[in-house]
Amino acid sequence: MDKVVHEADPSVVRIKEAAEKFVTNVSKVIVGKKETIELVLVALLSEGHLLIEDVPGIGKTMLAKATAKSLDCSFKRIQCTPDLLPSDVIGIHYFNQKNCEFEFRHGPIIANVVLVDEINRATPRTQSCLLECMQERQLTVDLETVFLPRPFLLIATQNPIELEGTFPLPEAQLDRFLLKIRLGYPSEDEEKAILSRFQTESPLDKLSSVIESKELLELQGLCRQVYIEESVSSYVTAITRATRSHQDIKLGASPRASLGLNLASQALAAIRGRNYVIPDDIKQLAVPCLAHRLIAKTEARLRGRSVESIVGEIVSAKPVPVED
Amino acid sequence: MKLDWRQGILYVATIGTEGCWLYALLVLLNEQVADGRLSLFGLLLLYPLSFGFNLLLRRLWSRKVSVLIVSWLAWAVAMLLTLKFQLFGNLAFADTAWLLATPKAIAGLIHGFKPELLVLLSSAALWWLGRRLAYLRISFATSVGEFQFGLVILVITIFVASQLKVEQANSVPIALAFFLFALLGMSLAHAREGKSWLEGLHRGRWAGLLLASIGLIVVLGLLISSAVTPDFLQLILDALKRFWALIMKAIAFLASLLPEPGPAEPVPPISVPAPGTSESEGFRWGLPESVRAALRTGWGIVFVGLIVFALWRISTDVFARLRRKLASMAGAEVEPLSGAFKADFLNWLKRILLKLLGVRISFRIGQKSKSLLPEIASVREIYRRFLQWAAAGGYPRRSSQTPYEYLHAMSTLIPESKEQLSFITQQYVDVRYGFSLPTENDLAQLRQSWNEVAQKRLKRQSTG
Repeated sequence: MDKVVHEADPSVVRIKEAAEKFVTNVSKVIVGKKETIELVLVALLSEGHLLIEDVPGIGKTMLAKATAKSLDCSFKRIQCTPDLLPSDVIGIHYFNQKNCEFEFRHGPIIANVVLVDEINRATPRTQSCLLECMQERQLTVDLETVFLPRPFLLIATQNPIELEGTFPLPEAQLDRFLLKIRLGYPSEDEEKAILSRFQTESPLDKLSSVIESKELLELQGLCRQVYIEESVSSYVTAITRATRSHQDIKLGASPRASLGLNLASQALAAIRGRNYVIPDDIKQLAVPCLAHRLIAKTEARLRGRSVESIVGEIVSAKPVPVED
Repeated sequence: MKLDWRQGILYVATIGTEGCWLYALLVLLNEQVADGRLSLFGLLLLYPLSFGFNLLLRRLWSRKVSVLIVSWLAWAVAMLLTLKFQLFGNLAFADTAWLLATPKAIAGLIHGFKPELLVLLSSAALWWLGRRLAYLRISFATSVGEFQFGLVILVITIFVASQLKVEQANSVPIALAFFLFALLGMSLAHAREGKSWLEGLHRGRWAGLLLASIGLIVVLGLLISSAVTPDFLQLILDALKRFWALIMKAIAFLASLLPEPGPAEPVPPISVPAPGTSESEGFRWGLPESVRAALRTGWGIVFVGLIVFALWRISTDVFARLRRKLASMAGAEVEPLSGAFKADFLNWLKRILLKLLGVRISFRIGQKSKSLLPEIASVREIYRRFLQWAAAGGYPRRSSQTPYEYLHAMSTLIPESKEQLSFITQQYVDVRYGFSLPTENDLAQLRQSWNEVAQKRLKRQSTG
């Protein structure tokens, strides 16, 4: 604890450099969304899962693909439709007539980076098969338990405007996503840059990997070593607990949310080149980490209050641990 | 309906609660109307009799109209028998005089309220209460309602009795018994609804805590009743009279400062009552004694009404808060932890001291305060001074602002010191949230930066 730091911690320097490479690489495809790309990296380094919710054509799938390509990892895509079955996702035991025995054929979930596109189009039955995969990084088929590879990142996308024929994700599943992010429309200059870049060819095709899977595992381990001071940890707890007693919130954040916010803040601190977490990291991650886990009361929704604004209000009101 | 022991205790508690205020009320009415001739226990016996009778009827018979008729017929018989034995004991059963006494008393109501009417009305009320109890599902809300209503009636009765100088020798034991029964009923009713207190793993401890609480209240009540004697009350009354006399003296003095009226407008002299003088020699305002007595009584009723209303509100709020708190614990399994009581007690003391005196005292329970290294302490001290300096200049840090957010705000105010402010903030953040140790150069630069910043003058924010 009385370590003297005159120069940056080498482990943090390594994480920061990797982060810069990743962000630069993905920014070749996704224009002008540096903070969002950082959040994707936060989810990656925290071993969490990501939910991207935005209107069509904004680049959700492109972002997921760019992320997968930037990592030297296996990538699979699952396009969710209402007729998608759990066995289509996790795999199935089939009878091999040649060998006269049952064999397990893995589903597309067995990959390092899995893109689950339009997750809200899958039926609740199919959505629920992802629960075990997301939380425990394993799947159970009949009597067999199959462990998912590490690193394992699940990126799900969903469209918030076309709700016909969709099945909203249950609270249990939403709680398993570390972060929920939105890309948002690009600015005018950004949109012009997009048109320019994608005019002749897709930069996604030329994207190469910048972080290997083994390196990523090491970086994930290093992130966990980032120091969180006790009062900052208490700050995290105070924010999540405040969501449970807020007058406009029916269901508050769970202890999983507190843990997720802690881990994510460690990753963000490391990306910024610090070996300790500061309250600004918590504030920046509070909405992406907590908002999607909350359920607002009907009266609050009728008054036009969003969970994001409520979380923002809580964060703006909670005292930050500083000198009195 | 199977009657278990808890239900039985609830019935006993409710009968006890209602019986206490009924007894106090009947004492007063008995003295005023019947010159104390009535045997109150004989009257009160109608209550449990009605309860038992109606409970039996309810079990044996299902037709509501028939049960109602039979019940009130039974009341009529019981009332007449009570009347016979209480007021006409010397008459034979064959003598119809006692039978006609009640209709005569009703007919002669305008001439005065007779004891026969008191027996009629009180027996009807008692019978109705007993019947009600037989059909009542005693919940926590019911118990609280019984307590609140009974408390109001009891307080009013005791007050009116003291005004009418009716002897209330048993008022203290009656009040204690009332609280005992009421608390027993409320706690048991809540325990039944919560299904956690007296049925769970630690029911012995909870039952012990409950009995200890009730015992403490009873002991406190006895102590208060022994301390608050009539002499003590008289002392308070005398003190209030002296205080009132002082006020009147002050008013008289101020009045004497005004110019004296001319001969055409004689001013009536203001007389100040001497302390300890009887009411008849006191300040009159030229009002007749009967009007003054009525005003005094009216004022007393208003005063008591306000106290009773306040008691009602406070108890309602307290119970509502307790219910909400206990409802949130429903189903919780409470496990005793060693040291938990001490920690909770000390935290409670801290909160009370902070609320009452504004004093924050830290009771460190087995914890030793962490002493900071001098370098870290220096950095934090400088940042603290910086915050105080900015607050004195009208720009305090909001509690929800992080150091960097505050830096951004302060940098827009004094952009020429942005570099120094950034350095101060960075050094603070490093030691506060990290575990780095500043070097001598860092400390020297920090002190210099702070000195430069402290010389700046902040433009005060314009208010309004």
